[in-house]
Amino acid sequence: MPPRLNLASAFRALSLRTTPASQQPLLSQKIAAAVPKLATVPVARRFYSDNLTPENNNNNNDDQAPSSELAPPRSEEEEVVSLSQQQHKEDNLYALNRLELVAYGLKPFDAEEEGHKYGLPSLPLPSELHKDHRYDDVMGQITRLLMKDGKLSKAQRDMAMILNHLRTSPPPKLNPARPLIPGAPAPNFLPLDPVTYLRVAIDSVAPLVKIRGFRGLAGGGRNLEVPAPLAARQRRRTAFVWILDAVQKRKSKGSGRKMFPTRVAEEIIAVVEGRSGVWDKRAQVHKLGTATRANLMNNQIKNFL
Amino acid sequence: MSASNCLRCLGRPSVAGASRGVVVPVFAPRTAAPFSTTAVQNALPAKPKSAEHQDRSVRVYRAGRKMTIKKKNTQDRGKPPLPGERKAFRKKIVLSNDNAFPVPWVTEMEASSLSNENKVGSIVSLPPALQDQLRATEAFQPTQTWGLFRKPSTLIRKETVELTGKMEKAVENKQTARIVLAGEKISGKSTMLLQAQSHAYLNNWIVIHFPDAQELTNGSTEYAPIPNTENPTLYMQQNYCLKLLQSIKKANEKILAKLLSVSNHNELPQNITVNQPLLSLINAAKEAEGAWSVFQALWSELNAQGVNRPPILLSMDNLPHIMKMSEYRSASFDKIHSHDLSLVRLFTEALAGNTRFPSGGAVIAATNRNNGPRIPSMELALKQRLAEQIKVVEGEEAPEPPVRDPYFKGYDDRVEKVLKTVEVMEVNKIGKREARSLMEYWAASGLLRTTVDEQVVSEKWTLGGCGVLGEMERAALLTMKI
Repeated sequence: MPPRLNLASAFRALSLRTTPASQQPLLSQKIAAAVPKLATVPVARRFYSDNLTPENNNNNNDDQAPSSELAPPRSEEEEVVSLSQQQHKEDNLYALNRLELVAYGLKPFDAEEEGHKYGLPSLPLPSELHKDHRYDDVMGQITRLLMKDGKLSKAQRDMAMILNHLRTSPPPKLNPARPLIPGAPAPNFLPLDPVTYLRVAIDSVAPLVKIRGFRGLAGGGRNLEVPAPLAARQRRRTAFVWILDAVQKRKSKGSGRKMFPTRVAEEIIAVVEGRSGVWDKRAQVHKLGTATRANLMNNQIKNFL
Repeated sequence: MSASNCLRCLGRPSVAGASRGVVVPVFAPRTAAPFSTTAVQNALPAKPKSAEHQDRSVRVYRAGRKMTIKKKNTQDRGKPPLPGERKAFRKKIVLSNDNAFPVPWVTEMEASSLSNENKVGSIVSLPPALQDQLRATEAFQPTQTWGLFRKPSTLIRKETVELTGKMEKAVENKQTARIVLAGEKISGKSTMLLQAQSHAYLNNWIVIHFPDAQELTNGSTEYAPIPNTENPTLYMQQNYCLKLLQSIKKANEKILAKLLSVSNHNELPQNITVNQPLLSLINAAKEAEGAWSVFQALWSELNAQGVNRPPILLSMDNLPHIMKMSEYRSASFDKIHSHDLSLVRLFTEALAGNTRFPSGGAVIAATNRNNGPRIPSMELALKQRLAEQIKVVEGEEAPEPPVRDPYFKGYDDRVEKVLKTVEVMEVNKIGKREARSLMEYWAASGLLRTTVDEQVVSEKWTLGGCGVLGEMERAALLTMKI
């Protein structure tokens, strides 16, 4: 359904022209009060591109249209009356157009936005307007971890289904023994903000360290295990890979394209509720990290690091 | 110098001396590796294949060398899902989401809502009783987004009012509106069918809905020839018939309890006499056997002339599936045309205008573009009807309706005959005003986390193929950017 009012013609009327505008009567007080700036913008008719309004070349005879020559001559008074009536009608229409635009949420009186339907974006552009960063950073990263055979579009669709599953499932019941990451919103706020839901789940089970093995340094060819800190991205990656491992082990109860996303989403809910085995993995890595931190004092390791 | 290869068979002798003059068979059993110097002939005869060799996980690549591929660690994951459980998951229909906020301005649908022109662009929710009726006829589909909102609600579109207006007009004149809904993929044809059904239920019509025409023709239900039909032989699908009868009963229970039979039906499994409610007639179908005769009796009762009967809505989704040869075979192993299946024939006869409903009604069919077969005759017929429907301005010539391609053989006369006089309604893209109303509803439900202004509406409208409703839903509701 096309809009009832043609916006394009309204903006066309906004353009300021060097050719003298026809003398216009002042707007009625009511409209002028509603639209204070309107009086400052002269209404100019576009004589060459506007073929809808009937022409009357009252004040500039130089660029007269051939059609007016053919028209029967009218008395001067008659012409003035018809002109003022028509002007009045046009102005009313114009004012109504502006009001309609304001109702749409546009700013029709902003001089800076002239010629731009939705105005100019403010600079610098926010990162989400860049094609490579259009998604949340966690979303972008874990969607690629979901991907199989390079099918990113399918992974994105799966991710959208995961988010929709989180949106439709009841708020999680938290387990006090498995505290979420500090700053996580209350559980009843999570479902309607599924991106945060997912982020909270992943960040809560993300390990702080990984265990590196230095071959032969422990003597007798044994590995010397040394904890190494992880960056935020690495931590999330590890956590989500663990979650995907748990998903692989989950039983598939149904079929169809929603099955895999449902399993992932159920695992994420299990993580937030503290039921998932991923928490144990994290605890194990942290325990090993604490146990092996003394190995950081090994001279060779010191030299290496 | 002698050649190292045997000139007769190009086989390479494994021991130069031993094979002089003796042709070594190429396919002789070789147990030793090819580089071994042991004479092949001296080797022990090959052992019979051991059980290990027959194991599929072990592949023999070369004699004496095995490459084993370890089987993945298969865990015992409890008992497998029961038969039908996996499909039930796929087909599960959820109609509410307790997390979504209720939208204060959404009103409940009433009998006159869908035909009220002033309500175009507004959202109405389906009352619980209607939900049950629509569930019974499988009008909801799992791919639609009912499950995201607090209450199942629907947008009243311009086309909705047009469609229901046609239905009402037909009933006023005691005629049958015969309409085919056409349009792009996910443009809302099935939802339009759901709205037509809702209108019918709320206005006390009898609704008979075939949720998926595919089920009738893809060879998935039992079929049998109907006795005493020849040239052409007709076929009945009793299991499908029973299912259909049960859905009719569940959906139209209240009205059927009030309608009384006008003739005796002695041929049914249970004897039905005059002045018995039609509900008991349907209840006569307890098993698949006899379901077709019960359905026939019901159909003749509903169409009994001279009695006060409610209007009838006969609707079908995925129309192209019944416009081709079915997957069923006759006794002589020829393919059966879909129109020779009795249930399909009942629908096509009504669509072609050969059945007269006593109090009028409507026959509405929706095409489908995603999973539907391409039926050249149907496409041509719909295009022709559309060309004929164009209102010609005075003084201008009417556009020529398209004609058959003379070099193409795949046309079907029967299909074109059925669609000769139907009305085609295109379910088009929605306008920005409707889009805005819809997006405000999404935002108020808490599912679209943004301010709905002209720019956002325009963005989603454009992303959704300039107002294809399903694409807009995909762009706004099925996205990673929430």
